[in-house]
Amino acid sequence: MKLRFSAAGLLWVVLAAAVFAIAVVPLIYTVDAAFYREIRTGLSSERSLTAVVNVFTSAEYLGFLWNAILLATLVTLASVVVGVAMALVLGRTDLPGRGVFDLLVIMPMFLSPFTGLIAWIAMGSVKTGFINVTLISIAKWLGFDLPPLVNIWSYAGVVWVMFLFFTSPVYLFTVSSLRSMDTALEESSRTSGATAMQTLLRITLPMQLPAILSSALLVFILAAEMYTIPGLIGSTVGFTTLPWRIYQDSTSFPVHQAHAAAAGTLLLLLAILGVWLQRRITRMSSRYVTISGKGFRSSPLKLGKWKFFAYALVLGFILCADVLPIAGLLVSSLMKYSAPAITTEIFTLAHYAQIFTLQNMLDALWNTAWLAVLSGAACVLMGFIISYMDVRRPGRATQMLAFIGVLPVAVPGLVYGIGLLWVYIQTPLYGTAWVLLLAYIAKFLPYGIMTSRSGILQLHPEMEESARMSGATSLKVLQAVTMPLMKTTLIAVLVFVMLQSIKELSASVLLYTQKSQVLSVLTWHYMDAGNYQFAAAVGVVQTVMMLLLVVLTRAVFRVKLEKSVAG
Amino acid sequence: MMNESFLARWATRLLGVVALLPALAMAQAVPNTDAKLYDAAKKEGSLVWYESGPLEPMKDVANEFEKKYPGIKVEVLRIVGVQQYQRFMQEVQAKRHFVDILHISDKPSMDTLITDGHVADWKVPMHDRFLPVFRIKTHAYANYTTDNAIVYNVNKVTPEEVKILESSWKGVLDPRFKGRFAVSNMKCGACYASIHMFLDPKMKETYGLDFLKKVAAQKPAVYSEVLVGLDRVIAGEHDFTFWTWEGIANTKWLQGAPIRWVRPSPTPDFGNSWQAVSKYAPHPNAARLFQNWSFSAEGAVVLQEKYGSATTMSGVADKRKVAKESWYHPIKQRYNPDFVRWDSEFHRDMDLWSKVLQDAR
Repeated sequence: MKLRFSAAGLLWVVLAAAVFAIAVVPLIYTVDAAFYREIRTGLSSERSLTAVVNVFTSAEYLGFLWNAILLATLVTLASVVVGVAMALVLGRTDLPGRGVFDLLVIMPMFLSPFTGLIAWIAMGSVKTGFINVTLISIAKWLGFDLPPLVNIWSYAGVVWVMFLFFTSPVYLFTVSSLRSMDTALEESSRTSGATAMQTLLRITLPMQLPAILSSALLVFILAAEMYTIPGLIGSTVGFTTLPWRIYQDSTSFPVHQAHAAAAGTLLLLLAILGVWLQRRITRMSSRYVTISGKGFRSSPLKLGKWKFFAYALVLGFILCADVLPIAGLLVSSLMKYSAPAITTEIFTLAHYAQIFTLQNMLDALWNTAWLAVLSGAACVLMGFIISYMDVRRPGRATQMLAFIGVLPVAVPGLVYGIGLLWVYIQTPLYGTAWVLLLAYIAKFLPYGIMTSRSGILQLHPEMEESARMSGATSLKVLQAVTMPLMKTTLIAVLVFVMLQSIKELSASVLLYTQKSQVLSVLTWHYMDAGNYQFAAAVGVVQTVMMLLLVVLTRAVFRVKLEKSVAG
Repeated sequence: MMNESFLARWATRLLGVVALLPALAMAQAVPNTDAKLYDAAKKEGSLVWYESGPLEPMKDVANEFEKKYPGIKVEVLRIVGVQQYQRFMQEVQAKRHFVDILHISDKPSMDTLITDGHVADWKVPMHDRFLPVFRIKTHAYANYTTDNAIVYNVNKVTPEEVKILESSWKGVLDPRFKGRFAVSNMKCGACYASIHMFLDPKMKETYGLDFLKKVAAQKPAVYSEVLVGLDRVIAGEHDFTFWTWEGIANTKWLQGAPIRWVRPSPTPDFGNSWQAVSKYAPHPNAARLFQNWSFSAEGAVVLQEKYGSATTMSGVADKRKVAKESWYHPIKQRYNPDFVRWDSEFHRDMDLWSKVLQDAR
């Protein structure tokens, strides 16, 4: 019997082996850890179901899970509504200034949740937050008293801060899909007498379902596994989410490692359900084809009198998600210590001076930059090939790889990090920055797979078939037809993964050594030690660095995310 | 039978001696004076220190060591809490030895490492100047104390109120403090120490669960991260923390923050961070030299100046700036935690504290 492998097939086999080694094995270890008896410093060698039973059946843990699901649902709903609305406005209408707005709308992704939280604590505290202090001062100047209007230490505060963080990814992935969409159906709808709004609701939005669903699922999973914002703010209003409990179980002595792993497995099951649902809904892939060989581009929708509302939506978001937190971060970074307002007495530039004289800072900046670029490129390439094989060559093996490749996204970093450490410590790469690269690929490959899949689903196979009939090999088809057509989506994934890599902490903090310092770990050390002003300064530098990386990437790939439909 | 037993006994003894040989060889191999250690350490050139304190002060401490002993570079890696223990043990299991000096902020964990034989038996020359509560056999030492202090914003708390807070831990129950202070339910050693004392069966009559309930009834703001609570006190959001610790308060005070602190009696005060030489240290001489220096009078003064916490070494003058302040008072009466009870009750007590706070909402 003669085995025949195409080049693409061979590439897939290599990829499958790589995914299994770097992402799935740590995941197996993570799940396996739930089935041991705990000792005060970790796990004994004795098997036990105690942790699994405790976590899966106790009202306490299930209550924490419910809190996480409820919070993630609220955050996802708000993020999808606003993110998709902004994507439509900036991706499909004639609103002036789209180019600038595009970058500003994705800017919240440049802040790490922890630094963003520092900014919002400084901005939104009741008595001393910059917002309340400023508003109350203005009111006093105008001659009336105003009570504090903003309170970040509330449930609404948690939802608000998380919503501001998670709207940008929804926007990014939806707008990318919108911009690469063939508008023939929209044109038909409009020539058949439908209004712009009817076309939007009946044609455009349903066609974007894969992109919207994949970004919603991504946001839901990320929101459900986030522990920083719900943990730090939530405790003041008396609610605990499962990820925060996992954080407590895995970071304080005596450690409850099996409980943390079992709770992580609970979140993993939730993600499996989500990914399965998403795949079910988008199973009829031909329904969502938005790019075909016969496409033509139409003119953007004219907003007319709706322009004011579109501006209000976009500018309002930019004010709340960019201007306020970045201003808060900047002001905090110029203070010696926290205060309700900056004065000459507490003003200092020392934190910035210290950053650039700090041992390891240049190494950390360099490591952070190259790790971001390489992990971004690897996740785009691997994610694309895995999804391509999943959609275009559906079979048990290809679908299974696409399915399990996304699962690490659901496991909280602290739990997954232990699995990564366990696997990588046994390789010669341990102790070098290369091990961080593998960890980042393992953690962020799911974004590459999920987003590429929705992009491929929207691509009609007829163009690839034409190329193949003209004699092109599988790899040539990928390189010359499929990838160029998906360029905007793939660049979006690249940018997103690069930004996630720059902010990554949970695996880095477990795997870093003196030779592999990264910026996120350095920042965290200062925050963890209570030096929030210095951490704010590092956060500002980190934000500028991410901005530069995005601008550089767009220059290198000659693709502007803000490219309008009118072209 | 007798012959078999006799042979078995002697075989066991012989095996015991053979097993001890590497240790004896090591004892012979390790130089016993700092000068000899330094010569040997210079050949190693560096050491790796897994530390659990704030990064910058500890780097400053390492820099002072490097100045004193040129030619030996200290690589400082901040790995906190349980993560340091887990990383070290995973490295041990994988036989990938990177670390020379361990510095773990949990005494029972250091006890476990010593019992399991992962820590070198290295008695520092100044061993006797550390009270037994600040050392574990001749293996590990606590280099600074962690206490519990009520840290207040000087612009928010009057001198009269300071006296009330300083007079007793129960001062916080004064009705005037209702809704004015911050507490934390974070699971950390310094966060737990006072809870541990309040729930001490010997102090049940004075404090106990009832006291915790009364504190919660004062409607404090609850922070899951103790240092965020302190930050909000500095900003003026709350008037004082019920409680943090002197080391961090001193760091903020040196930066100019408008805070001071009082420590009612008895004050929980203990060795929270324990330093030892790894048995598998790749740079054993440099590690031992660093350990000797860390627990010398010179090392204690450097740590005191750079980190801000009081040293555990007896006979070292408190040269910190804050010690010269008129408002600053040394601890009058120490409370030593019971680490056996600590280890068994930590999670239960902290969960109880969280529940008490939750119920009072």
